[in-house]
Amino acid sequence: MSVGDRTVRLIARDELRMMARNRVAVIAFAMLVLLTLVAVASSWAHRNGVAALRDRHAHVAERAFDAQPDRHPHRMVHYGTFIFRPPGPLAAFDPGVDAYTGNSMFLEGHRQNTANFGDVRQSSLLVRFGQLTPAFVLQVVAPLLLIFLGYGGLARETERGTLRLLMLQGASRRQVVRGKLLALGTVALIAGAPAMIGLLLIAGQPGALAQYMLAPMSLIALGYAIYLAAWAVLILLVSALVRRSRDALLALVAVWAVTLVLVPRVAPDLASAAVPLANRLQTDVAIARDLRTMGDSHDPDDPHFAAFQQSVLARYGVDRVEDLPVNYKGVVAMEGERMTASLFDRYATDSFAAQARQNGIVAAIGVLSPAIALRSLSMAAAGTDVAGHRRFLEQAEAYRYALVQRLNRMQAEGVRYADDTARDAGADRRKRVSGDHWRAMPDFRFVPPDGRTLATAALPGLVIVVGWLALALTLLALATRRLGARS
Amino acid sequence: MNLWMQEWRLFSRQRLAMMALALLALLTSAALAAGIVEVSRQRAAIAAIPAAQAEDIAAVAAYVDRTKDAGSAAYYSFHPTWDAPAPLAFAALGMRDVAPYILRVRALGLEAQIYDGDIFNPELALPGRFDFAFVLVFLAPLFVIALFYDLVSGEREAGRLRTLDALPNGGRALWRRRSALRLALLWAALGIPFGIAALIEGVAGSTIAIVLALIPAYLLFWVALAVFVGRLRWNSVTNAATLAATWLVLVLIAPTLANVAINTAIPVDQGAEIALAQREAVNRAWDIPREDTMRRFYAGHPEWADSAPLGPDFHYKWYFAFHQNGDDSVHDRVRAYRSGLEARDAAGRALGWVLPSVGVQALLTRLAETDLTAQLGYQDRIRDFHRRLRAFYYGYLFQARPFERGDFGRLPRYQQYSFSDVRI
Amino acid sequence: MTPPSSLMTPSSSVTDPIRIDDLTLAYGAHRVLDRLSLAVPAGSITALLGGNGAGKSTTLSALLGFTRAQSGMVAVCGIDPAANPDEARRRIAYLPENVALYEHLSAVENVDYLLALSGQGAGQQPAGRSGHHRNRTAITDALAAAGLQDRAWDQRLGGFSKGMRQKVAIAVALLRQVPVLLLDEPTSGLDPRATADFNALLVAVRARGTAVLMVTHDLLSAADVADRIAFLEAGRVAHEVTASGPERFDVRALHARFQAVGAQMSDGQVSDAQENSGQVAA
Repeated sequence: MSVGDRTVRLIARDELRMMARNRVAVIAFAMLVLLTLVAVASSWAHRNGVAALRDRHAHVAERAFDAQPDRHPHRMVHYGTFIFRPPGPLAAFDPGVDAYTGNSMFLEGHRQNTANFGDVRQSSLLVRFGQLTPAFVLQVVAPLLLIFLGYGGLARETERGTLRLLMLQGASRRQVVRGKLLALGTVALIAGAPAMIGLLLIAGQPGALAQYMLAPMSLIALGYAIYLAAWAVLILLVSALVRRSRDALLALVAVWAVTLVLVPRVAPDLASAAVPLANRLQTDVAIARDLRTMGDSHDPDDPHFAAFQQSVLARYGVDRVEDLPVNYKGVVAMEGERMTASLFDRYATDSFAAQARQNGIVAAIGVLSPAIALRSLSMAAAGTDVAGHRRFLEQAEAYRYALVQRLNRMQAEGVRYADDTARDAGADRRKRVSGDHWRAMPDFRFVPPDGRTLATAALPGLVIVVGWLALALTLLALATRRLGARS
Repeated sequence: MNLWMQEWRLFSRQRLAMMALALLALLTSAALAAGIVEVSRQRAAIAAIPAAQAEDIAAVAAYVDRTKDAGSAAYYSFHPTWDAPAPLAFAALGMRDVAPYILRVRALGLEAQIYDGDIFNPELALPGRFDFAFVLVFLAPLFVIALFYDLVSGEREAGRLRTLDALPNGGRALWRRRSALRLALLWAALGIPFGIAALIEGVAGSTIAIVLALIPAYLLFWVALAVFVGRLRWNSVTNAATLAATWLVLVLIAPTLANVAINTAIPVDQGAEIALAQREAVNRAWDIPREDTMRRFYAGHPEWADSAPLGPDFHYKWYFAFHQNGDDSVHDRVRAYRSGLEARDAAGRALGWVLPSVGVQALLTRLAETDLTAQLGYQDRIRDFHRRLRAFYYGYLFQARPFERGDFGRLPRYQQYSFSDVRI
Repeated sequence: MTPPSSLMTPSSSVTDPIRIDDLTLAYGAHRVLDRLSLAVPAGSITALLGGNGAGKSTTLSALLGFTRAQSGMVAVCGIDPAANPDEARRRIAYLPENVALYEHLSAVENVDYLLALSGQGAGQQPAGRSGHHRNRTAITDALAAAGLQDRAWDQRLGGFSKGMRQKVAIAVALLRQVPVLLLDEPTSGLDPRATADFNALLVAVRARGTAVLMVTHDLLSAADVADRIAFLEAGRVAHEVTASGPERFDVRALHARFQAVGAQMSDGQVSDAQENSGQVAA
């Protein structure tokens, strides 16, 4: 858009003055700004509160682990550890699925527990009405404000015949449309500014504005700018196509409701109907079944463990497990953990693949609703989408496996087989290893994704949003040619 | 009657209005169908439990049969519990997509098991379900606005208002008639599909009646709002914009603001703390004299106190005793956590008296038994079942009875609860 | 220069369908009607002429029961419209300056609908587009009597001219057989031919015994059909001419009179506001 055009600027200025004189519009605009400020403040406070709480819990859990007395290593396998997922810095802008996923997890041997205590199960029913975040305000509320301010932009001029007046004074249709677009775009920019300032503030908090966050943050800013621009163009497009401004308003509110309220709800239903997700009971039973066919460490006649025993004996060149230089019980525990962990990985991978297919269906429907595309862009860049949760679960599982195998190795190398199988009164004392070992265990540290990963994940959403803008611009250009032809 | 027929004829010739009604009926039907599909999927998952469970428990039984040790049976056996959807659940899925409706428990410490969730895709849950409650609470007001925003202003702008006012059956009686007709049509578009779906799903007549009464009550609120805005004598466009903005505030913004306020005012952090504390209490048993554990257990559960003293060897009754002790030790925290959740829920529902959108959602999820109260009720039934499960195994452990293969057939069975008496 | 009241209502009778006596109506300090007296006998046409703000529309509002007077008396067939608007409106047919009807309905359907709102169609079959109801004949007869050509009967009103729409509204009045017809600027915007048509229609309506009160700027039209012309000025009748009087066909004299009245007209914007608040009272 050539801003340098004097006529365009004049028309834009006139339109902005018109909006400024509309009392309802000014109040609505002020409300939006206020709402954004409240959203930024509350979302930021919530994120920091959650971060502090989870950090506190994590320290309590780590201290408790470190403070355990001398123990048999297998006891520690079952003592396990609690880990907490720290929210990413951008979760204050768009918390994404954070409230829907559990944020604390109990890690122990042989079992894969679920992440528990998500906000959605701990809040009143209001949480299902949506969450007040800067992302929500920009995605849902800002377009409606733009509709209220812009629906009459062109429809009003054709309806009242003032378009002809403008054209008699030498303004071309294109100039009129550009002027209106410039005005509405300016409003969109101002409407989005508080949230973007909020994003900068959020990123500016200590430790957050690492260099690597620059890419996802820029993508978020770019994505929302394009999204609001697409709405501005769409609003003028409808305003150019209909005969009466009243019809323009109704049509736009309908488009808004369908793309922002209806489609985002229908899409998940279609996705979950198309791709079923195995539930936990069926998964657990299937894992148990697979485990039985792979080998049962409890069964002395089990072929897998019989062969395993032979291979271990052969490796050390001995005939009896009692003669092994290592504690065979620990070795078996490692083999058992390896087997269960491989199954956990397989089923988790399957489940995530199914969820990814579901999200793919939603993304495909997102072609119909720029809001879906923008939401996935926003969550992906903020690291608060399902992929972000999966990162946590996978790191948790990797940590769990490493921790349990370290303990199992400790049993194999630090506890003698004779002691481990002894049942005399002092045996319990001899089976224990020093508590110093627990303090030597590394703590779980969630490794946040780098900016490049986040930015890459956000790109598909950006492409769709850009596509929407391009389509809307093309249609507006076509509609511009016919503007006022029927009046 | 002729007057009503005339109004219907006039209305039915308005293409856009009729399309809006048809769309609402279509959306309602789609939402009901989606709800029914989801609920039958959940019922199918529940119906698939026995087969999977039989396979799983058979393997445990085969293993336990070698030792006939009740402790092993108790340790390795998972027992399914489930929360079958209530007849009305299809209309308001509530929390059923994020809270588990199937949970397997062992006779071990329950507090480490009861908060577990099921597998669900959080990105699908995030926008909320497309169910009847959504259509009624979120979408129906928009249709009310579409049919009412220019009820009077449209006639004024068309220049007919004075003509209509000058007729003996015009004026206020006319607006009342037109409003009532539109309300009735909206009611029909929502209520008829709902009634059919409810009859198919076997919902109790009284419940259907409540929902059918709730629909026009909620619609009436929006109609009243539209009429109020209409009386300000603005033009149609201003009416539409004002009503849409009001909808945004009442349905989307106010609840989210209230959610922030409630969660700030009523902090509920105890969930993870229960889990941490319970684990400490359980694992500490390995480091204290076993007699201490047993003494504490018998103090709380004297019915097993005459059991034989522990020998030097590991015995499962000690193991289960400290798990029970672990649960008992966090009893107060559990109560506090639960009352925190209930307080939040109560605050949310109290808001329903001010915000009709919230009130209708609360009432529908209560009737459908998909709200927090129903979730907590399910947890109570799990606790009750778990209590029976423990008592069953304790009978073998503390009385030193061998656990035969046939004893698996005597396991307590989880009782599906009947939906006969729903309290609102 | 208050004319003697005997001159204002020479043939005033208790049985006149339209009677206004000493009517005073004010918005705040502004008196719109000031002791106005007027009567329209059955089977006669009275034209009310006056400048903007003279109180013409307010007079109609008072007759329709939209506004309540401070003092004085209004009666439509002996009924006080302010106290009993529905009963009064049952006896009145009213055509606003721009007769706007439902554009997505046909002429027949519009008549049918308005009849129902008038409490006339009750108990009868609605006249569908199929047109074989007994009611339809009555409606088409009335449309024919109102001068609407038969090919327009089943056309949607969207493309109708003002004259055609007035004919539809007159058809409603004919069917209702009301004793009172109130007209607000019926001939404004009509071409001479349509005006002549309309005036002929009014004469036919008068022949049925209807009391017709028309508010107008159109002196020629008034001189053409009215039995009596009342000049309204500042809320009261400043001058009155009857068909039998000497000025009846002296249009030039009437015009001079009209201009003299119009010179004293008050602010037109006040008049608009009064009309609007008159509707609130409905």
